[in-house]
Amino acid sequence: MFDIQLMGLFNATLQAATLLFIAALGELITEKSGILNLGVEGMISVGAVTGFITAVNTGNIFISVLVGVFSAALFSSLHAFVTVVLKQDQTVSGLILTILGLSLSALMGKQYVGKKLPVKIESLVTIKEPTNIIEVLLSQNYIFFLSIILMISTAYMLKKTMFGRRLEAVGEDSRAADSMGLNVNKTQFIATCVGGGFSGLAGVYLTLSYVPYWTDNMTSGRGWIALALVIFGGWKPYRTAVGALLFGFLEALVPRLQTYGFELSPYLVKVTPYAITILILVVLTIYKGGRTGAPSNIGIPFFRESR
Amino acid sequence: MNKYLLSKKIVVNELSTFYSFVIGLTIGIGIGSIILLAQGQNPVDVFSLMLRLSIGSVKSISSSLNKATPLILAGLGISIINSVKLWNIGAEGQIFMGGIALNFIYISTEITNPNFSILLLLLASFVGGAVCILFPAISKVLFGVNEIITTLLFNYIVIGLTVYLVNGPWKDPNSLNFPAAAYVGKEVYLPTVFGRLSYGFIICFLCTLGVHYLKEKSVFGYELRISGGSALTAIYAGINAKQKAFVAMLIGGGLAGLAGGVELLSQTHRVSTGLSQGFGYTAIIVAAITGMRPFGIFLVGSLFGALTIGGSVIQTMGVSSYIADVIQATTLFGALIAQFFFTYKITKVTEDV
Repeated sequence: MFDIQLMGLFNATLQAATLLFIAALGELITEKSGILNLGVEGMISVGAVTGFITAVNTGNIFISVLVGVFSAALFSSLHAFVTVVLKQDQTVSGLILTILGLSLSALMGKQYVGKKLPVKIESLVTIKEPTNIIEVLLSQNYIFFLSIILMISTAYMLKKTMFGRRLEAVGEDSRAADSMGLNVNKTQFIATCVGGGFSGLAGVYLTLSYVPYWTDNMTSGRGWIALALVIFGGWKPYRTAVGALLFGFLEALVPRLQTYGFELSPYLVKVTPYAITILILVVLTIYKGGRTGAPSNIGIPFFRESR
Repeated sequence: MNKYLLSKKIVVNELSTFYSFVIGLTIGIGIGSIILLAQGQNPVDVFSLMLRLSIGSVKSISSSLNKATPLILAGLGISIINSVKLWNIGAEGQIFMGGIALNFIYISTEITNPNFSILLLLLASFVGGAVCILFPAISKVLFGVNEIITTLLFNYIVIGLTVYLVNGPWKDPNSLNFPAAAYVGKEVYLPTVFGRLSYGFIICFLCTLGVHYLKEKSVFGYELRISGGSALTAIYAGINAKQKAFVAMLIGGGLAGLAGGVELLSQTHRVSTGLSQGFGYTAIIVAAITGMRPFGIFLVGSLFGALTIGGSVIQTMGVSSYIADVIQATTLFGALIAQFFFTYKITKVTEDV
């Protein structure tokens, strides 16, 4: 009995972590290029609603996932246009993106509130009540495994490929990157849209698997957690995954605390990840002399004076 | 081969922020109309109803201005902090902290004079907001920890604290299981000036004047601008830039806390998770879109208050209230795009091959 409960907790941890991790990984790629996008919450919401609407209408999971990813990427191109091409403030633009994404998706999904989903994302192996860790892992759906592939390939892409090195160069010193002949605007634009696409995937995971229905504001702050995760992970894919597991664990643990007989308030347990993130950020800033892993040019628009 | 070069305009039109906003608003209303048409509604009918219900009578104008009050107060706080080129994304949490501090003082003191009590409670909310930004402020000036992130994360901590309080220690047994603290007594409600207009709006107007004076006319404001503009100039001028930034952050957080206090005493009358409906986030946008000018924040904040009231009443027509949010957001995007053309110029250069 205890085993089944524990496996239930492990399963819920993985599911909560997958969602957070995919969105955080996308934001990491965007931030690596020096663009801060605070609109994650809005982008997840757009991906979630478009994916859900497509699934209800077509019944095809593959198309729904694609639609969710591409609509969120398209939506994030608005941020890219305003901040990269027009050099406007990234903080402001990102916040507006959140408000716009949440309200637009609420408008789009109005007729779909309470609709039942005809399909669900398949699991690798169908296991009713997993009894050990391997069974829990195998019973996860395809997006979970996709997120692992994305983690490994992002880590590889950042360190070993030309695009990854360009990304880092642009994010660290856009002026130097520019004089080396790199196209700063193009790199930042692509990175922002890729980040949006990742958020869209997280959104699709939310409505087609994690909670299979649609309602307004159902992202409930997960986009902001994803932003915190990037910092927690020091802009590194693997550490971000560890952070996602921690946050996912706490999200899964909170509703179970009372069944385990703990007298701790679940509301206070819920804030501990945020407090931990703040402390880690402070400690990193002090002991690494400001080298928290943050790209040096983050938030600063690149502007080449006319020469 | 043609190339396009971007350069900053040397002279920027003084009124460019205003023009940008008007252009943005036109775009926002245009996109709002398209969405309404797509939903089979007549935009003219919807917008005229929104206008009538948000500014058509004394009653509705006062509701709109009451709605605008927390937006403006929090926006003013953000603009003070921005004069040292720092961001405060934590206004939402500071609003809640203002409400929590107010309620804490309310239940732990026994004051018979209601006027004095109201003053003390509002002061408590200001202090609450300042306390909420204390940690980000200290870690910023001492260690240089990014304030965007710390203030943002504090929102979650404070909202978590609010949820804990209204479900636990402060839970009102008479609230029919709705998670909320007990109502404050009627004697500390902020009185109304006329119609439904609360004295909170007067406080907010006075704060606008005060912040304008502080930012534009006072020595302190001048020192803030220098500290934010150039660290070296500040050193040459003998200004302790870190100290100025610290004080600016506390005042800014305090104003957001005051927004929560005013909202509690004039509108919600109790602490609950509904104390702020995203005011802290909208306030950032209001402040940014006006170029951090206090009077601009006052005007745009009032307009957004009216838009929110208008948005919430058109629900009776079967129109989603989210349309108001879409109009706000597209207005701001439109204004940002317009601002680009006021501040940059694009020149075409032909390169010889």
